[in-house]
Amino acid sequence: METLSAPSSVMRRIPTLLRAGALVLACLLPSCIGTIGGSSDEQQAVLMVPERSAFPRLTHAQWENSVRDVLRLEQRPGFSASFTGDPLGGVFDNNEAVLSVTPNLWADYQRAAEELAALVVADPARVAALVPPDEGQGNEARARAFIETVGKRAYRRPLAAAEVDKLVALFNLAPTVIDGDPFLAGVEHVLSAIFQSPHFVYRVEGTQEPREDGLIPLGAYELASRLSYLLWNTMPDDVLFEAAAAGELDTKEGLRTHAERMLADPQARDVVLSFHRQLFDWKKFGDLYKDPAVFPEFGPEMGQDLVREAELFVEDVVFTQEGGLNELLTSRTAFVNDRLAGLYEVDAPSGAEFGKVELDAEKRSGILTRAGFLAANGTARASDPIHRGVFVNLRVLCARLPPPPNNVPPLPPVEGKTTREIVASHTGKGTCGASCHGTLINPAGFAFENYDAIGRYRAEDNGFPVNAADAYPLGGGMASFNDAISWSQMLAESREANECFARNWLEFAYGRDAVVEDAELITKLGEESRTGMSVKELLLELIASDAFSTRRPVEVAQ
Amino acid sequence: MNRRHFLRGLFGVSIALPFLESFSPRKAEAGPGDIPPFAIFMRQANGCVQKTDDEPEMFWPSQTGALTTESLNAESDRAVSELSAYASRLILVKGINFAFPGNGCGHSGGGNQCLTAQKVSDTPSGNESLAMGESIDNRIARELNAEGVEPLTLYAGKKAGYINEVLSYRGPKMIRAAEHNPITAYQALFGLSGLDPEVLQKLAAQRKSVNDLVREQMQSLMSRKDLGKADRDRLDLHFQSIRDLEIGLQCKLTPEEVAAMELMSPDSRNNDNVITVAQMQMDIIALAMACGTTRAATIQIGDGNDSTEYYINGVRQKSFHKISHRIDSDGSEGPVIEGAYLLHHEIDRIHARMFKYLLDKLAAYDLGSGSLLDFGVAVWLNDLGNKYHSYTDVPFVLAGGANGYLKTGQYVDVNGVHNGRLLGTIGAALGCKNDAGGPLDDFGDPELPKGLLTEIVAG
Repeated sequence: METLSAPSSVMRRIPTLLRAGALVLACLLPSCIGTIGGSSDEQQAVLMVPERSAFPRLTHAQWENSVRDVLRLEQRPGFSASFTGDPLGGVFDNNEAVLSVTPNLWADYQRAAEELAALVVADPARVAALVPPDEGQGNEARARAFIETVGKRAYRRPLAAAEVDKLVALFNLAPTVIDGDPFLAGVEHVLSAIFQSPHFVYRVEGTQEPREDGLIPLGAYELASRLSYLLWNTMPDDVLFEAAAAGELDTKEGLRTHAERMLADPQARDVVLSFHRQLFDWKKFGDLYKDPAVFPEFGPEMGQDLVREAELFVEDVVFTQEGGLNELLTSRTAFVNDRLAGLYEVDAPSGAEFGKVELDAEKRSGILTRAGFLAANGTARASDPIHRGVFVNLRVLCARLPPPPNNVPPLPPVEGKTTREIVASHTGKGTCGASCHGTLINPAGFAFENYDAIGRYRAEDNGFPVNAADAYPLGGGMASFNDAISWSQMLAESREANECFARNWLEFAYGRDAVVEDAELITKLGEESRTGMSVKELLLELIASDAFSTRRPVEVAQ
Repeated sequence: MNRRHFLRGLFGVSIALPFLESFSPRKAEAGPGDIPPFAIFMRQANGCVQKTDDEPEMFWPSQTGALTTESLNAESDRAVSELSAYASRLILVKGINFAFPGNGCGHSGGGNQCLTAQKVSDTPSGNESLAMGESIDNRIARELNAEGVEPLTLYAGKKAGYINEVLSYRGPKMIRAAEHNPITAYQALFGLSGLDPEVLQKLAAQRKSVNDLVREQMQSLMSRKDLGKADRDRLDLHFQSIRDLEIGLQCKLTPEEVAAMELMSPDSRNNDNVITVAQMQMDIIALAMACGTTRAATIQIGDGNDSTEYYINGVRQKSFHKISHRIDSDGSEGPVIEGAYLLHHEIDRIHARMFKYLLDKLAAYDLGSGSLLDFGVAVWLNDLGNKYHSYTDVPFVLAGGANGYLKTGQYVDVNGVHNGRLLGTIGAALGCKNDAGGPLDDFGDPELPKGLLTEIVAG
């Protein structure tokens, strides 16, 4: 039997080299899988699960959703719009490595907690939703019941008796520091404290008892939180809390049953859209500038249209078609309003509203042939093969591209009649850019030369026929394509793009970087994706993995 | 006034409950002219148009030596002539270099080094690379501010995602998030201004009781035996961030200024608002310095490799980044932008005028024994040199003598000195010390040669 047996010091060093690419990851795999030494099954299991934070901080979106659900509000309070932003931690906003509570964010949390608490007690209906009615049981008994139920939602687990006592003490102290009705002052003070607690701000994981293979199974409530923040980006609902209490999440089957229930809920759609929004950088769509002299039809409302089109497309692929990467890259179903219909040369099925159409099979494929991606990676006037190519390399193929050189060398004179010829004369074979641009970037971008700066189809560029054919290294050889249609198809069938898709989902779902311990899982999920696995099934498999339901014991630095 | 008056009923509506200033004014008893020296750093990206093999000098004066309004005005084709009104308070420093190479991305490597004089990280690399040590604003705050009081870290412009904030570092690879929204920055500093002392006392007691409970919870978590280093650091930072309310001097901007910030709030990252937002942030910085809330502030103009599309003569231009490379591409190759160096020069002037706005604001605080500008030093720096994005001749323009420590009214060419020496000298001017208790002459990577930049120190 093959076992993972690289010495742990080596294992620890490899991950940083790998962040940039599954291609590299795939290349390195053979050297990590060997039969040196005689590792026990125990070590093998532990080596498949990377060490990670026991205190992932809520993202700002998770903070919003959690506050809404703790307080039983109808909508998100919206306070986090003014929170200090987090530093960039890769493609996704939920990388635990960069989420910390800095002095400024602490002040933001404090202000928000105080405002929330004050707003709740100002509204009797909101108080009634949280506090049991006065039936003569006495203020402290009422307070205790309120603290136990709201506290459980905020900490995402039942509170220990000592924790309840501390909050009751705070409740009793409140009238000396907050004016007005003493009972409401107590409710306000306790709510303020709960939202500033590390048990609310972090998803604290504290289980320490390892099982036989050395991994530490998460506690039932910890698992419930991981599940609900993954699939709903918020705290567990009552059903999930009950399942945790009843031990239903302790088995793989039980976990899957609840994951399936949650995937069917509309909240899961927001999470799936959030993944694609970040991976495909939809936020760029809203700030596009196109020269109005060249593209009078590209008005300011176009940015929002493109985002809406992309959202509807992804929802259709994932939830209606139950598809995966293949459908994402090849489906011709589109959702257009009258403004987008012209761009795609179809009739608008619902006028100003978005309606479903099928696009021309000769001209369009999946998400990479849609106006959003093409316009966001186009200049004010022209197509932009370099940026389109870089995007496909980085986000779709997880290729490791060295960053552009620090200093710009003198440029060769412009030669050529089409965009492609000009770009090739600067960066293609025979120039200093040949190694990166010539082999990886340009081909991946030239494939889209049939689309102009706003994503309209064109057969000619500058009056000359478009050439969108090229070749790219896939599957160990050079794969040739004619245009963006065959290029999309080729990507959909490639090991590289499917492993990249799996790797991106892993990073998003687990809220951390993919590291060497994840290699085997990524390879497996990539192969399943290549052979038709849906996004929903991919998520269920990520949840079924030990990497989701256990922790690796921490090697404490001496 | 009761703080409840600030609460307006609906969720989702912007609510102006003022809250604890992150920086409590330390010298409430300070009289006019009793301001401890401070430093403000304004960063421009993408280099400036100065002399290269094929482009003319358009930034520096032609002669080093004393500066006068007349001498600067006489060379109105140079970007620094925009600052001629402040000639006697300027120090133009040419010949500052970054000591270390970048790691795959010139912009990121320059941003990492410009206020740190530290090496650039091996990992992460490229546009994600980070500095391997603290920045000067952090050093100043750590050494001279009250405990736990942060340097002010502000930002104007869009956050494009390729490189965002680059300036302020708590320590190796620990970049500090910069606030892009003026109203948020203002509320964080001065939100409680205007409350009655009695209300403030109660609020302080209320907060302390919550803080005490939270501290207890944090300590319990931090006592766990199974914490990795990253988690321990994370909890430490959080614990250190918890501060009780101190009641001191009240400082505020005019209601009109605050209302304008509130109006700007939803659009504060918009390309077209970069200059207005920068000015609002500068209003806050000037107020913070006048009130002694912190001794160091940074403001970054634009994202890491500033992609702002500035307006020149009313026309929205290509992104500054592309203009700075002289080509219509964010990569290293692309079609030439004709006359790009003239556009770049105009953008240098836009930055000069933004800097002048800051100087105007500082100068407008009349403290009797001088204006606020004279008590501190404001720095307009770049994180790159020229159109080749070089790490040599990185422009540093200082204004204000830090209460007489620095020799103003001059243009010096120090001819290839690492930036740690300049940054350390600014720290020394404010009162920062080296380990031996002398003036800070060893700021930056320990490998760098030590010493003050004596050319700019008053004799």
